[in-house]
Amino acid sequence: MAKKILLVEDEEIIISLLQRKLTQEGYEVLLARDGEEGLKAMREVKPNLVLLDIIMPKMGGFEVMEEMIKDKELKEIPVIIISNSGQPVELDQAQKLGAKDWLIKTEFDPQEVVNKVVKQIGR
Amino acid sequence: MVKARETKLQAIIAELSEISQRRERELAEMDRIAKMLVRRDFELSEIREKREKELSELDRAAKLLIRRDLELSGAIVQLEKQRNELDRIAKILVRRDLELTEMREEQVKELQEMDRIAKMLVRRDFELAEIREKRERELQELEKRTKELEESRTALMNILEDVEEARKKAEEEKEKTLAVITNFTDGLLVFDRENKLSLINPQAENFFDVKGRNIIGRPVLELSTFPTLEPLVRLVGKEIKQVFRKELPIKEKFTLEVSTVPMVREEEKIGTMVILHDISREKMVERMKTEFVSLAAHQLRTPLSAIKWTLRMLLDGDLGKITEEQRDFIEKTYGSNERMIALINDLLDVTRIEEGRYLYKPTLADFEPICQFVINSFKEEIEKRKIKFEFKKPEKKLPQVKVDVEKIRLAIQNLLDNAIKYTQPEGKVTITLKSGKKEVEFSIRDSGVGIPSDQQERVFSKFFRGANVLRMETEGSGLGLFIAKNIIEAHNGKIWFESEEGKGTIFYFTLPVEKEFEDF
Repeated sequence: MAKKILLVEDEEIIISLLQRKLTQEGYEVLLARDGEEGLKAMREVKPNLVLLDIIMPKMGGFEVMEEMIKDKELKEIPVIIISNSGQPVELDQAQKLGAKDWLIKTEFDPQEVVNKVVKQIGR
Repeated sequence: MVKARETKLQAIIAELSEISQRRERELAEMDRIAKMLVRRDFELSEIREKREKELSELDRAAKLLIRRDLELSGAIVQLEKQRNELDRIAKILVRRDLELTEMREEQVKELQEMDRIAKMLVRRDFELAEIREKRERELQELEKRTKELEESRTALMNILEDVEEARKKAEEEKEKTLAVITNFTDGLLVFDRENKLSLINPQAENFFDVKGRNIIGRPVLELSTFPTLEPLVRLVGKEIKQVFRKELPIKEKFTLEVSTVPMVREEEKIGTMVILHDISREKMVERMKTEFVSLAAHQLRTPLSAIKWTLRMLLDGDLGKITEEQRDFIEKTYGSNERMIALINDLLDVTRIEEGRYLYKPTLADFEPICQFVINSFKEEIEKRKIKFEFKKPEKKLPQVKVDVEKIRLAIQNLLDNAIKYTQPEGKVTITLKSGKKEVEFSIRDSGVGIPSDQQERVFSKFFRGANVLRMETEGSGLGLFIAKNIIEAHNGKIWFESEEGKGTIFYFTLPVEKEFEDF
């Protein structure tokens, strides 16, 4: 059975690109367009990995992670941050909240996202 | 669209820097005027003091003369009285003489006696006449002296008038000076040689919400008991040390720029002037600019990453097969987009530098691997441009440096990028590391186009691009060296260069070495 990846992201073009790329790589991609929706989806489907944007409507990525570490089950799901920003302060905070990896969108491309996903959960 | 924004951004920033330059010039001019004014004020008060001293001297002399005059008039009156008395006596004597003559006729016996008396009287009369003559002479003398006194008094009065006029002039000058100081747009505080406050103008009173009459005459340290003045006192200290254009935040949205100028007369310090310039507006503009650039950079990155990812997937064939021609176009577009991303990153770096939150957690690290890391990332570019590259390392291991590794990489990257970009194919680029006692030195020499000598002093300023470089390369934000300089200086290092147009450039920087035994 294909591994499930939850993509929490509000930018349509990035959603389409990543969804396509990850599906091609054989993953099952679930979508959430803000933090609240993301947490709800996590509780329902228990994904193998979460790709999480930071700046989103309703609830941002950091708040999502704060919620996740309060939950015994959600705490175990690996998180990779994908963001347009990447200031050192933000990286530190993400690490503290248990993020496995961080990538700045302008500095990476979809293939590298796939590589990082594979590194975390395999194919 | 983006290009237009970029141009607009550059225009805004250029305009801002022009405003700031203009402000600096105005400030220098004001400083000069203020110094001149204070010097003039001191000269004037000196003149006035001297005049006042002369005046009182003259007053004293005049009084003395008047007293003497009075004494003389008294003496004259006395003499007059004496003369009258003598006249009266003379008259009596004449009458008596007549009586005696009468008596001679009657009293022959008494004649001899009478004769004697008469002779005596004549003698006395003669004596009296002599006395009278003498008195007369004395009187004349007195009159002459009185006249002289009168004359000198007139002369004194004339001098007095002149002095009065000079004093009026001095007074006028002083009032003018005071008016200038009072209406000066900068705040001014003047301390005397004992560091006591001797003058404060209304602007400074406003800045600190104090009244001059409450604080004038107090020593600088005592001023810190006024809460509004405390930060200023803390900045200048009890000795009023020399500061030049130090920023002093007073409250939110109110910042002063403080300069102190020693007032020196004939090589002797006679006080200190503190000039306060309100730079709240400049600070606000700067903050707005920073916020604007920061927001713009973040907002710009979002679509750029979308473009980057889409093009990448097209190129990777993830969205279907593409023709060679399509690939060619997309690759070029991808390259343009990458340059745009680099420019935005540079702008973000500059913004962070200007917000003063740039260095992040410096750690102790080996310097050589940092250089090697950057050099490796340029291998392909170096080969593509057919540049002879050399990396000279010292045999002995370099001491460790305390650095923000990411930032130092960025600085080296900017220097290496320039060296490669502005060196023609077959040219040479050499990086040399040296170890000193207190620092490590990095230098990068290229055989490139060089920096025109008339532009060398602007090399490290924001958006600077050499005139010769502008003609050959369209790429480049003009931010690389500005960023590199800020990174090196944030590490307490130094950066400088030597360059000759057409021959090449050497950039140097040093980083201080952590003193190994300091902690023991």
